[in-house]
Amino acid sequence: MKKVLMKGNEAIAEGALTAGCIAFFGYPITPSSEIAEYMARKFPLLGGTFVQAESELAAISMVYGGASTGFRVMTATSGPGISLKSEGISFLAEAELPCLIVNISRGGPGLGGIQPAQSDYWQATRGGGHGDFQIIVLAPSSVQEMLDFAMEAFDLADKYRIPVMVMAEGTLGQMMEPVIPREKVTQFIGKPWAINGCKDRKPNIVNTLHLSPEFLEERNHVLGDKYKVIKANEQRAETYWTEDADLVVVAFGLMSRIVKKAVMEVRKRGHKVGLIRPITLWPFPVEHIKKAAETAKMFLSVEISMGQMVDDVRLAVNGKAPVEFYGRIGMIPSPEEIADQIIKLAEREGF
Amino acid sequence: MGNIVVFAGGFGSGKSEVALNYAMQKAEASKGVILADLDLVNPYFASRDVRAKLEKAGIRLVAPEGQLSFGDVPSIPGEIIGLIRQDNEMVIDLAGDEVGSVVLGYLSRYVVARETYDFFLVLNPYRPFAQDLESVMLLKRRLEGVANLKFTGIVSNPNLLGETSPDLIRDGHEMIVGFAEALDIPVSYLTIEEKFYSELFPDYGEKLQVIDLYLKPDWL
Repeated sequence: MKKVLMKGNEAIAEGALTAGCIAFFGYPITPSSEIAEYMARKFPLLGGTFVQAESELAAISMVYGGASTGFRVMTATSGPGISLKSEGISFLAEAELPCLIVNISRGGPGLGGIQPAQSDYWQATRGGGHGDFQIIVLAPSSVQEMLDFAMEAFDLADKYRIPVMVMAEGTLGQMMEPVIPREKVTQFIGKPWAINGCKDRKPNIVNTLHLSPEFLEERNHVLGDKYKVIKANEQRAETYWTEDADLVVVAFGLMSRIVKKAVMEVRKRGHKVGLIRPITLWPFPVEHIKKAAETAKMFLSVEISMGQMVDDVRLAVNGKAPVEFYGRIGMIPSPEEIADQIIKLAEREGF
Repeated sequence: MGNIVVFAGGFGSGKSEVALNYAMQKAEASKGVILADLDLVNPYFASRDVRAKLEKAGIRLVAPEGQLSFGDVPSIPGEIIGLIRQDNEMVIDLAGDEVGSVVLGYLSRYVVARETYDFFLVLNPYRPFAQDLESVMLLKRRLEGVANLKFTGIVSNPNLLGETSPDLIRDGHEMIVGFAEALDIPVSYLTIEEKFYSELFPDYGEKLQVIDLYLKPDWL
């Protein structure tokens, strides 16, 4: 298909539509608002449903209702909106309702600012809401991946009956790149659990209140077992030059593209540096890190935060090598700035 | 009296780059060029990001300053009406779509009071909502409606950023010429990067306007 010049936010919306999303429920917030705007323009033409809800709480509850019918539905917001939606996300996780949740993240805490950030990593991967639950989190690094991952997210959501989040820095939502549109999805897996009319069958019930302690525990085991399967099957990452690397840098999202430039530059200057780019933030690509830790002498986590993913890198490295951190907040470090940090570490350690 | 030039268009049509380049080229010939960045929708990739470069070229940038430059509350620099009423070379960069052009509705009576003005519709036919005549007509109607001003020209800006080629420019420009005929608005410029100039000059001549990409981050 012919390429289109798209903003990241438009691409994610287009990806969702291509994946067969029929409803969007949301409340606008910078830097995510173009997703809602795109849906508001497209759905009247396509026959879908766009609702600007009265609040984030209402929007996520509408997602719960919409997803219960078995159709593909979504919401999009930024970090403060995810905070408000966290209760609803916990409900969606327990009810095992597939849906797409988008976080085009900005700097916090509090109202913070609208500049790009990755400081919603804990919120996304540790489950911002209550109870023992996880959601799958995908971190795109290009506008094309915004479209592709929106589609992938719906497939994963349906496959595992789980909410899936696509999380990207504000800059990725706002910047433009050429995108190849994809064929519209028309085949979906069966959803025998959906509330879609119970003629000739027993009614389905979607519920998260379990007053029997035995049943509550059983439900937690069901979810826990599912999360184990996802951890075993869905860890995704890209690795570059890790085979001989003394120092392995770990970075996700748009940051990973900038780090890749820095790593290429540092390689040219004779230091053996590699890069691991987690694509799934949950499940975290533990296996990729573990493998690199067999030979690497040091890891460096680079994030647009005060240091959040670095916890997961340390857990995965499991004491085999020291794990350092470098981060900025609200602004994107340049490739030169990252290269300087890497060289400083390499020279200090004699790599 | 100096001219006033206003650029409007859909989101991401290239208004800010075109306006920046227009101001830079104007500043080579005249003193006292003013660029007003009235993008009050969203401060990502706005002309205020290159304030230092503009000031070096002798261009006065009128835009939200300091902390406000990162705000997502609509703010219009207070001196804007005063400046439009003075004799100067002025370039106005609006935000995208009708929400971006609505600010001109408040200013257009001062714009038309000047002896000469240009109101340009910037079009990139490779953007969503600008790929067919129906969408472009809707865009034009909405922008003129909120701005209370009729377009005087179209800036043809066909590109896929880094993946732009001469053929892609030709195909895109042809689409825009078709839209322009249907809208009965002349195509004033075809904006291209310098590297395409010599190849396209025989076909488009003086219509070509070379632009540098000031807002593209260096890590892209």
